[in-house]
Amino acid sequence: MRAPIAAILATLSACGGGAGNTRLNLFSTDWEDDRGVSIGRVWQRVAQSTVARSADVVVGILQQADAMVGLPLAAGAEKWTYAHPLDARPVVAGSLVVASGEGEAFALDAVSGRLVWKHAAAGLRLIGAGDDGTVTVATFQRTGAVGSVLLAIARDGQVVLQTESDKLLGAPAVLGRMAFVPWAGQYVSVIDLSNGDEAARVTLREHTLRAWAESGSLWFGEQSFLRFDERIHDASLGRASVARLASRDLPGTPSLLPRRAEPAPVAANAEDRVRLYARPTGGGSGAAIEDARYYATYFRLAMGFDSGAAKLAWVHVHPADLLGGAAAAGGVVLCDERGKVVELDATNGGVLSEATLGQPVRSCIVSADSARLSGRSDAKPLVQQIEEAVTVDDPALAAGQKILLRELAAFADASVAKTLIELASDTRTSPDLLVDARAAIAKRRSGADYLETALKRHYDYLRDVLRPPPVGPIAEALGAMNAKSAAPLLAAHLTDPNDTEDDVKRAAAALMVLAGPSELPAMRQFFGMYRATANDDDMAAAVVSVGQALIALQDKLGRVLVDGAANDPMTVDYVKEHLAEPATAAP
Amino acid sequence: MTRCLGWVVLSACTLVGSARAYGQEPSEPQGAAGAARANGPKAPLSAGVAKRLRSGDAALIKGALDEVRTSGKAGVAAAPTIIDLLRQGMSTALTQAAIETLGDVENESASEVLGWYSRHRSVELRRSAVEALAKTRGPVAVRALRSALSDSDAAVRGFAATALGSTKAKDSVPDLFTALDHNVPEASAAIGELCSDNDCQRLAARMGSIPFDIVTSGLEEVLLRPTSEVSDNAKIDVVERVRGVATAEANRFLKGVQKRWPARGSPRVKQSIDQAVTATSAASGLRRTEDSP
Repeated sequence: MRAPIAAILATLSACGGGAGNTRLNLFSTDWEDDRGVSIGRVWQRVAQSTVARSADVVVGILQQADAMVGLPLAAGAEKWTYAHPLDARPVVAGSLVVASGEGEAFALDAVSGRLVWKHAAAGLRLIGAGDDGTVTVATFQRTGAVGSVLLAIARDGQVVLQTESDKLLGAPAVLGRMAFVPWAGQYVSVIDLSNGDEAARVTLREHTLRAWAESGSLWFGEQSFLRFDERIHDASLGRASVARLASRDLPGTPSLLPRRAEPAPVAANAEDRVRLYARPTGGGSGAAIEDARYYATYFRLAMGFDSGAAKLAWVHVHPADLLGGAAAAGGVVLCDERGKVVELDATNGGVLSEATLGQPVRSCIVSADSARLSGRSDAKPLVQQIEEAVTVDDPALAAGQKILLRELAAFADASVAKTLIELASDTRTSPDLLVDARAAIAKRRSGADYLETALKRHYDYLRDVLRPPPVGPIAEALGAMNAKSAAPLLAAHLTDPNDTEDDVKRAAAALMVLAGPSELPAMRQFFGMYRATANDDDMAAAVVSVGQALIALQDKLGRVLVDGAANDPMTVDYVKEHLAEPATAAP
Repeated sequence: MTRCLGWVVLSACTLVGSARAYGQEPSEPQGAAGAARANGPKAPLSAGVAKRLRSGDAALIKGALDEVRTSGKAGVAAAPTIIDLLRQGMSTALTQAAIETLGDVENESASEVLGWYSRHRSVELRRSAVEALAKTRGPVAVRALRSALSDSDAAVRGFAATALGSTKAKDSVPDLFTALDHNVPEASAAIGELCSDNDCQRLAARMGSIPFDIVTSGLEEVLLRPTSEVSDNAKIDVVERVRGVATAEANRFLKGVQKRWPARGSPRVKQSIDQAVTATSAASGLRRTEDSP
């Protein structure tokens, strides 16, 4: 079968030795879906080809974007440096590092940093590349023009194919001298490098901007992994082998792969710092996620999730922003802006190993296709990991901490109460996080000792206690736990002018449940001080709660106070109106 | 009148034993009535004052409070009733007036209820209560004032520091030093009024780390206190420290103390001050305190 040709394909005379091919209508949009026939034939043709593993390497772009430093992950391997100006982020393709800059495209051996080929590529910036060990296929964006350039170069530097399209081509892969080029978000065109024909095309039901080789298979996708296998012919019917990550709320809405078919900037940006990583594998069902784990980074945070249920498995707090990474078998390899490389255990997030590129980097690229991460890690239990993460003093992490706080609140451990109180009492805690911490405290049903200890603290200017404890939420939690021992501590907060009106209201409500005779003097004092001076509804509600508690406790003096207040014109209206209502106890 | 029946009952009860009525054991003669008996009213209040205070009518209460205020210490007989009014609660305006009245009456029995209001949410009431506590004095007042040093309002902290100085609460000196280090400038003068020799020298040692005029507001108090409270040696040490600053401000300060030096003051200290004034006169036009090391 020969695909219909509609798009303009231009042969560039720059292709040496007559290797360039002119093919019209490549990447045409008037193509009719052949229901997988052509792609099925391609699969039959290359099914026996071995998909080579990509190199295990971390490549850092140095601060001036004029050199790369490579750190092969194999034990004992030497770092390498290659000086060359860069105009786009390099990529690891098979055993090569492919890059562009200063009018050239070039490829280095990923392990040694040795130059493998170089090609004049004025005005071209690298989008993506694939390599099958004999030929490299790469896509480029032409500066100042619409569309893309596809280039296939043999190991000896000979150009096998060079073609331009007005379409935005994604990152290609290559297998058995067939180039797999995703485009328009839904097609993968297979170009036979021996003749330049579009040998097949498949319409995918998964948004696709990239094709790549990993774990011994070819994959297409962007936010999912669609495997090139015996089921590919059913891809247009949505029956291809696909592995997806269970979705969940994540800080910064990270993406698995870049969402645009364009060159990645040399310097890492926010998208690089907020990313998802997962490694697809071929399995019984056709496609699966390695270790049943996917990973998310959020600046200095790295998190591991169960890929099926999206349940948080671990969280790692890193000293610096994480700029790049790759999921590997057994874990994830991440590199940071200081040039540090860390391997984290898939199971528990423990640090398996650490290495360094030797200097800070503007961005970094990680490939870990062959490595099986292993070793011993001393990871802390998940609760402790989250507690550590949510208490890190770094405003940039607030959105991540918010999500982790919700995870933390789900644990019944008593220590959680302590962490939540620390957060809610710390003046550095962001307002957003503070709200969540307070809400989580109110729902605690364990850790009463920690909650009561917190109540002993009051605002104290001279002792630098400038944020009172979260009295209201604590009161609610202790009220629900029926912690009578907290009553005197709560009573002491009634008259603390530094607690918020809402806190006082909730403390008073809890005292309706918890107060006993020993709290009567404090409650009478509060009632007297505020029944005619309460300046808002929260304070007035607190007065009402305390008044009702005095009556419920059958305090004679309290009864006289309340009755007197009910008939005194100076008593604020809200109090008078509500004092007569039946008492409604706090939680 | 019936609407105030509850208050009347409570007031009657508390006039008999107000402390017990609020969950405490009566403690005569510390109570207001006892104090009133001990001091004896200097001028009788009009007969209707107590009745008006208990009337429940805001205008009548305000008028009665004004009468008590103008009668000064003679108003002590009304103190228990005013204390009860504050315990039962009144509008903010009347609460303010009652607090100020108790301050004017200067009766220690009011310290407890003033202590309550020194922690009211209304900052105006807190300021008034702290100012009143400075006049009622006694250990209860001192405890409340020390607590008020940690108030979130700078004016309350300042009033509390000043009050602690005027109430001669020597035990509060460590708190006052903490307050001074926490930017409560009024603590300096209070320390100056209360400090022992060592504490006075500690205050003088703050020169350089705390603005000169703040430190010297305390040192002035130190130098003018009697020798029975601060030794001549300690005073001379203070003078020498100020002299060491050798600035125009130092000279001005020393001249001020020299001018107000009591005729019967220590000749040794006087001599030290005179020499320091002379020594700093030469430098006074050349250096400002901020330039000093």
